[in-house]
Amino acid sequence: MKSGNKRVGGKTGAIIALCVLLVVTIALGVIGVTGVSLPPRGLHKVLSWLPTTNSDNWPESLPLGLDLRGGMYVEYSGKAPEGSTADFDSLREGTMSIIRSRLSDKGFNEANVQRLGSDGIRVEIPNVQDDTVLDLIGAAAKMEFKDPSGNVFMTGDMVKTAAYSYGEKGHQIAFELTPEGAKIFGDMTAANVGRNLVIELDGETLIDATVQQAILDGHGVITGNYTQDEATSVAAKIQSGALPLELTQQKVDKVSATLGQDAVSSSVRAALIGILLIMLLMIVRYRLNGLIASWALTIYTILLFMLIALFGIQLTLPGLAGVVLGIGMAVDANVIIFERFNEEVRKGRSAKAAVRAGFKNAISAILDANVTTLIAAIVLLFYGTGSIQGFAKTLLLGVVVSMFTAVIVTRFLMNRFVNAGATNTSLYTKVNAEAEKEVEA
Amino acid sequence: MVIKNRSRICLIISAVIIVAALLLHLFGMGINLGIDFSGGLSMQYDMKTAVNASDVTAVLDKMGVVDNTVQIQGANSNEVNVRIKNLDKDDVQKVQADFEAGVKEIYPEAESVGDVNYVGPVAGETLVRNAVISVLLAAALMLIYIAIRFDLNSGIAAVFGLLHDVLIMLSFMVIFRSVIQMNSSFIAAALTIVGYSINNTIVIFDRIRENAKKMPTIAREEVTNISIRESLGRTICTTVTTLITIVALCILGVASIREFALPIIVGIISGVYSANMINGYVWAFLEEKRRSRKAKA
Repeated sequence: MKSGNKRVGGKTGAIIALCVLLVVTIALGVIGVTGVSLPPRGLHKVLSWLPTTNSDNWPESLPLGLDLRGGMYVEYSGKAPEGSTADFDSLREGTMSIIRSRLSDKGFNEANVQRLGSDGIRVEIPNVQDDTVLDLIGAAAKMEFKDPSGNVFMTGDMVKTAAYSYGEKGHQIAFELTPEGAKIFGDMTAANVGRNLVIELDGETLIDATVQQAILDGHGVITGNYTQDEATSVAAKIQSGALPLELTQQKVDKVSATLGQDAVSSSVRAALIGILLIMLLMIVRYRLNGLIASWALTIYTILLFMLIALFGIQLTLPGLAGVVLGIGMAVDANVIIFERFNEEVRKGRSAKAAVRAGFKNAISAILDANVTTLIAAIVLLFYGTGSIQGFAKTLLLGVVVSMFTAVIVTRFLMNRFVNAGATNTSLYTKVNAEAEKEVEA
Repeated sequence: MVIKNRSRICLIISAVIIVAALLLHLFGMGINLGIDFSGGLSMQYDMKTAVNASDVTAVLDKMGVVDNTVQIQGANSNEVNVRIKNLDKDDVQKVQADFEAGVKEIYPEAESVGDVNYVGPVAGETLVRNAVISVLLAAALMLIYIAIRFDLNSGIAAVFGLLHDVLIMLSFMVIFRSVIQMNSSFIAAALTIVGYSINNTIVIFDRIRENAKKMPTIAREEVTNISIRESLGRTICTTVTTLITIVALCILGVASIREFALPIIVGIISGVYSANMINGYVWAFLEEKRRSRKAKA
């Protein structure tokens, strides 16, 4: 039977469990710092995820926000053009995708374009401090029609509509010219049958094709090896000419990279000092339980950064501060449990009974305290902007992980230590003589 | 029945701080709004030698830029932070170039370091609106949660304490206006305190909830006393662990971290204070009132 097994294996089982967890903790800690190459032949590499105080050696798996790596960001508020009936969100999506492609066309591949609040757009460009990038974002898409000798004979303002369609050659963009444009285009095609005309958008050749016959009705198609999405996006660019939304620049911020490096290394150092002092305090005050809390805190730190790396949460300056603050808050649940445990011991309970009663009495306070912190973090996540959201994310993650380590891991450890024979209550707290006597009696 | 003496004194102390801050604000010595709220341009220059603030101001005066703040920083007073409010975005590049040319006449080795930051005038308004909405929304959600898990009076008392803490943080920002600026990170700090400092209250109220059942005949105020005393060990220990990390961050961190850490430290201290000296007694006061109403009925 199960209970029989438990009794036989009780002490040894508990010691084995503690050793296994110790090995796992150390292994995770080491891998977290160094990373590991997995067999066969080290093809699968697990990247390190624990930060070090040396910011040059920052783990790749922890992406840093713009405020820490340097660069610039711009925030815009958007307004639908007057008379537009289109859905605001789809206009915003369109604008964002145009900004994205403009930036990546110019080689800013790491640029990040995201929505901001209900009507804003935020553009982040790492490692750049140059205002000319801003002109690139706000510029109107420029469409040009060129004759065989490369002269521009018509521009995009002659285009009445442009839309995605599907034809013989696959996904394509069908356009219709204004009457004036139709005339120019008609004359030009009539004069250049057998020669090549070029249509460019933002300096990029959309089509370079031989004119088969004069096109007089003002309708044309642009074909190429487009996917449906590409053709739709090109059509949107031509159609809009300018961006779908009218953007007003609200905020520009340029951050130097050195500032970020200082912030990173000082925050990590603060976290390390904080962790060590907290461990010291916990061990002095709660003895063996303090050791357990220190163990749980180590697991907390490893797990938290592992999850940040896994979810790809960008670490911003406030985000890093959230992590450091979270370390201080993570032991709170432990403190609540240990105080209750000590009360039970003072009442004369055995260590084993005190663990059970301590948890039972502590759990409601822990739950309520953490739910209220979660409420604040979630509100921040919705109403915060930019780097504050980074703080909300790490705070949120910190609360969830600390619930796991401070309650489940701690309970596991306390029970194993008691089962392994650490039952003398003076291992945990100062026991007064009377209570001691009571236990003996 | 009045609120217990001790908490009455504490309420008066808090009220004095808040009213003093409010008066300062009314006399134009309010919060030192950073660029995130006030809008404008902020620049940071390293002059490589000690800077004379009046030199920098003279450059700005010559340019005709009126609404500016010049702060000297750095280990050898070699860095200068210039903030110009009420600046049109089209003028930003010109002002920046003119300023750089101007200071280079006096400090030839001057170079731009750190943040160059422009914020439009509307951004600050949005920020304030979002901040107020988020604090009130969080408070309302907590009132609901605590009212469900405890009782309505506990919810009211806890939210009372929470608003008290935010007001104390704001008062601190007013009183120490020469040391600290308010930027968007203050919102994160305030919300952190809203979420964290209520933990002290919750743990004490959890004790009260437990003791109140065990001691139905004892005055609520005495139940509060006992519960606070029983929770004191935990309160002190947790406060110390949280303060350890945030103080380390404040000492080691860069300026923008300090801007965030300092209000949090104030909030944590205010949170411990209100949880132990005010909130429980507000609950006891409300609860006794409810009881006497019930007895009359």
